[in-house]
Amino acid sequence: MGTTKPRPPAKSSITEARSLPEKTFIIDNGAYTMKAGYAPESPLSDDPLSTCNTIPNTIAKTRGNRIYIGSQLNAQPTDLNEMMFRRPVEKGYIVNWEAQKEIWEHSFLDEKTVRSKEFRIASPEETTLVLTEAPNALPVLQKNADEMVMEEWGFGGYLRCVGPSLNAWNEVQSLFGDPISQNLDAVVSPAECLLVVDSGYSHTTVTPVYKGQPLQRAIRRLDLGGKHLTNFLKEMVSMRQYNMVDETYIMNEVKEAVCFVSDDISKDMERTWKGNRKRDQSDPGEGVVVDYVLPDPNAGKRGFMRPHDPLLGVKKRKSVLSGETGAEALSEDVLVLGNERFTVPEILFTPHDIGMKQAGISDIILQSLSVLPPGLHPVFLANVLVVGGNALIPGFMKRLQTELREIATSECTVRVRCPEHPIRSTWLGASRLATNRDELKKVGITRQEYQEYGSSWAGRKFAGAL
Amino acid sequence: MYHIELLPNSTSHITPGWTYVPDRGFDPAKAAITPAIGRKRGIRDPGGRGDLSSRENNAIIRHLAELDRENHRDVQIAVPVKQKEPAGRGTRGKTTTNTRRILQSQKTFRNHLDDEEAHLSQTTQTTASNAPPRLSISSKVTKPSARRSSTPLTTPKTEPATKQRKQSAAAQQQRQQHQPSEPPAETSKPDTPAEPTAETETELPAKKQRLIASEYDNDPLLRSRIPSAPSERIMQALLSEPPLSYNAARAGPPVTKKAPRFFCCICGYWGKIRCRNCHVRMCGLGCYKVHEDSRCGAFL
Repeated sequence: MGTTKPRPPAKSSITEARSLPEKTFIIDNGAYTMKAGYAPESPLSDDPLSTCNTIPNTIAKTRGNRIYIGSQLNAQPTDLNEMMFRRPVEKGYIVNWEAQKEIWEHSFLDEKTVRSKEFRIASPEETTLVLTEAPNALPVLQKNADEMVMEEWGFGGYLRCVGPSLNAWNEVQSLFGDPISQNLDAVVSPAECLLVVDSGYSHTTVTPVYKGQPLQRAIRRLDLGGKHLTNFLKEMVSMRQYNMVDETYIMNEVKEAVCFVSDDISKDMERTWKGNRKRDQSDPGEGVVVDYVLPDPNAGKRGFMRPHDPLLGVKKRKSVLSGETGAEALSEDVLVLGNERFTVPEILFTPHDIGMKQAGISDIILQSLSVLPPGLHPVFLANVLVVGGNALIPGFMKRLQTELREIATSECTVRVRCPEHPIRSTWLGASRLATNRDELKKVGITRQEYQEYGSSWAGRKFAGAL
Repeated sequence: MYHIELLPNSTSHITPGWTYVPDRGFDPAKAAITPAIGRKRGIRDPGGRGDLSSRENNAIIRHLAELDRENHRDVQIAVPVKQKEPAGRGTRGKTTTNTRRILQSQKTFRNHLDDEEAHLSQTTQTTASNAPPRLSISSKVTKPSARRSSTPLTTPKTEPATKQRKQSAAAQQQRQQHQPSEPPAETSKPDTPAEPTAETETELPAKKQRLIASEYDNDPLLRSRIPSAPSERIMQALLSEPPLSYNAARAGPPVTKKAPRFFCCICGYWGKIRCRNCHVRMCGLGCYKVHEDSRCGAFL
């Protein structure tokens, strides 16, 4: 205990060494977006996500060499062409603190640039910071994070923990249709067993969580995430239609708009094949083949998806010639997307499609379970929670459920669920943990403790070794 | 054989720019930059198609590296310079040597990972002899009765654990030998129903009502094994394990083998035929024509 040794407090507000500051600020520091905000006072607030802010975790540069930091990117919808990105988070871990510091200060600390007062950390000394990290982080990067948080900003309290495990603090019973056992007045406690599949920007991880703590030996990672999907789609489109290699931002929007996970890939493949299209009178690709109208920065139009009409070009030319519509109708650029729509997300389930030697998600779940006692398999298979941005791809959940059902033992029930907000689910879990003050006190550290014992002690503490 | 050993000292880890890295043979990152075979030799050799697999391998690795990129081109985006306000947030003056070092570090993730691997291989070299035995939990068949008594698994003392493992291995062998006839496992069975988990307790009566009783009900071969949940002690042992290294956590190759699929490089349909020259997949002669006219011979 650090209380015995008298130390001159840095600020008069700090009185007791062992108590964490009341206010808890949570940063789920993803590679693509940060999910950040103050935890609500009580877990029963009507809209617990109202304080959660999603901010792009990037420094972007436009064609005109203008620099946008973090949330500035949300505000300026124009001039997205050839946008370049610098991301402080590589492979899911904060690597470049120079950029990360700039984004954090811009988004949370600097009075002039923080979006509103509720999202600002007025005084770090009176704030507890909960920072998430991807599992299996390199110790040196963990140490860097601890030192930056405690020495650069000097937060009053600090907790660094494995992101996926925080999902266990969410209210998952109703999601899985289990009877809600705890009464509502009780303090928040984590779900007993939960298998969290976190499919994010840089990778997809499988984390079995037992009573809110990850079972380290069973954490597995697939090195494919949303970034790879976007790049893969970009590559396909660039080869087959327009050169889009510099349009990462736009292709990401295309991916979010059109991609889906097929539940019968050979059937969908036949529907989009050009050979079948010619033969049949009725277009078999109907419903699968779509047009994506690219955004037009000059006219201030955003991109959008619409059903594919093979005769559209002819019709338009006619109508322009007859003077019904203006010439600008011809100027729109359209991507025709057929099998690209489902072969792109398919690589998450069959990485071999791009020659990767790793297994697909459902297989990785079994690989993860294979190192755990078999007594745990049924309960984990019955509680699979998918979080992260890729969970939003239509058909993802159904496909995972089907595949897992096929390969899991028939005695086990397989339930795959997705929370209402898969991207902010980890943040929500952290905010529920933060309302449980006793638990937070147990795992977190205070500024005094850090100053007394140093960063290697903090590393051991967060690893659960103390 | 000589070998170089980097003795750990206090300054080695902050040396920027270079590091000792263990030679692990094939390195995907480097292979992507310098393919293992010279292109010219590949072209000159008439029978040089033998190492096509390695050529394809390189193409795949290069493709994966391509997919992993943030931007298509390499760009340097500098952090915008801010006008320093005199009475700012006060964080400026607090910069310690640690944070200054971290902020100035331009290391990428790959640099850190190489450092980490070098560090790990060093520690395993030094502590290879007295490495603690891994906690072994069999993933095949549980023996609840044995598991309950297997408390020494969690204790740091290795001797009882190994003894226990030997015992259980012996028991398993015995069981394998005797299974067709009367299994000796039956002797250890009676205490299994004595302490079932809460789940099985509630399920069992319901099942008994539904099923038709037969003389084979107690046949050990027909007994369905519902593995019981591991004890709290085992869970604590599992929870206290240290995290795996970054590379160890990477998922392995698929367990359930599926037939590999190939796609047409032109239109994305199934790749049913291959180009004679560059072995790229195509769906049919239509796409082959396009390929032959435009891309055939382009580097693989």
